[in-house]
Amino acid sequence: MNDTTPAIDAAGVRKSFGRVTALDGVDLTIASGSLTALLGPNGAGKTTLVRIIATLSRPDAGRVRVLGLDVTTQGAQVRAHIGLTGQYSGLEEALSGWDNLVLMGRLAGLGRRAARARAGELAGAFGLEGAVERMVRTYSGGMRRRLDLAASLMARPGLLVLDEPTTGLDPGSRQQLWAVLAELRTEGTTMLLTTQYLEEADRFADVVHVLNHGKVIASGTAADLKSRSGVTSLDEAFLALTGSGSQREAVAPGGTA
Amino acid sequence: MIAAGTADMATPPRIPLRFARDSALIAGRNLRVLRKNPGRLIYPLVQPVVLLVMFVSVFGNLALTGHGGPYREFLIPGVIVENAALTAPTSGLALLRDASSGLADRFRSLPMSRASVLIGRLLTDAIVFATQAVLLVGAGYGFGFRIIGGPLAALGIVAATVAFGLAFAVLSAWLGLLINDPETAERVLFFPAIAVAFVSSAFAPVALLASWMQPIARVNPVSATCGVIRALASGGAVGFPLLELGCWVAGLLLVPGVLAVRRWQAVGS
Repeated sequence: MNDTTPAIDAAGVRKSFGRVTALDGVDLTIASGSLTALLGPNGAGKTTLVRIIATLSRPDAGRVRVLGLDVTTQGAQVRAHIGLTGQYSGLEEALSGWDNLVLMGRLAGLGRRAARARAGELAGAFGLEGAVERMVRTYSGGMRRRLDLAASLMARPGLLVLDEPTTGLDPGSRQQLWAVLAELRTEGTTMLLTTQYLEEADRFADVVHVLNHGKVIASGTAADLKSRSGVTSLDEAFLALTGSGSQREAVAPGGTA
Repeated sequence: MIAAGTADMATPPRIPLRFARDSALIAGRNLRVLRKNPGRLIYPLVQPVVLLVMFVSVFGNLALTGHGGPYREFLIPGVIVENAALTAPTSGLALLRDASSGLADRFRSLPMSRASVLIGRLLTDAIVFATQAVLLVGAGYGFGFRIIGGPLAALGIVAATVAFGLAFAVLSAWLGLLINDPETAERVLFFPAIAVAFVSSAFAPVALLASWMQPIARVNPVSATCGVIRALASGGAVGFPLLELGCWVAGLLLVPGVLAVRRWQAVGS
């Protein structure tokens, strides 16, 4: 991969679950080093697209390249370069935060010493030093989310994929998580995230893509989208672009499509 | 700095090494969960001994037509195998719990070997099956169960129990992932474990079973495993039952094993 290779390059991506079409020809390019938000009503296809990018699901048609690698034919190589924080906690609740970090690091390919060193770095960076020896089941929602994010960063992925990372968190925990994401952006990590909180996308995302009925219907900076819709908030722009109300729900495993 | 740091970047080892390493890491995680949550050890280690004590106390003094010794000598190997059959579904349920949680997505998004979650589970189960077999042979000793063949035969009994248990664990893993609902799987997986033991030579010689049961009991892997254990304990020849058990174990590890790995990959896709 060279500097001009997009972090994600998707063309004509289609995916159906039975008779429900989750993705209906998605075209999407995400530049390296950017923080990109994927917005859309419930059932628009956000999680389905994220799962295809993270190699958890295969597209029925179309092509997705992550850091120049094809997700269908080079899945193993793609997985070596991505970190995923899904909608549900990817942690072993019956182990400590430390055990989780070291385990995920080692499964990501780090040696024992490197995994421990990295776990120590991330526990510090995520403000978990005092809790890292405790069982995860004793953590608050915010701590669990930070640990989940830390676990996905153990092998320093080139692309971080976050599916609704702040959903269900109180405002304080959301702010803490965004502070970490902002630092990651400063350090040049490419991030793709879905979120239900439009003010977060407005404030933090470099680029916003709006997905509706399984297609990308608008792309640009939050300011672009607001200006195009002739409104002052991203909420209003979102409603103008997608119409009010949710899509029919596609039954996508692992979350709403 | 979060993205950068002092630790080395991940340098994945070659595929066979990676497979062995990842499987060992998953087994280590499972054992660590047991060690840090000792309550989870009570059922797999205490329940088999209670089961054996109950069975032998209630039925041990019955007379058995056509069997040379006391019924308890015949019964104890049956209880050892029945216990392994009853423990095997916990393997499928544990794998299904992982598959139903966010952990499955985490594991499947990592550059780890795809079969290692199943193999790691089986490595953990092998330790549990072996520990149970040792405990049951020890408890059986208290009721007069003797291994005439000596320490090697005792080792053979543990090995046969582990092999049988692992084969059924793989089957339960595949079925559990196929059912794909922990609550339903819990109800579905245990019934066949009970049924398969009753339609076998675990608790009575095949000749004493109802006529419709006998053809099934003759080819049942429970009968083969009981045959191996009884032969090892009495110092007899293990030949045919061992061959039968070997075929069952190879077949169950291979076919449902491959299907379980494929199913693990397919869940959620």
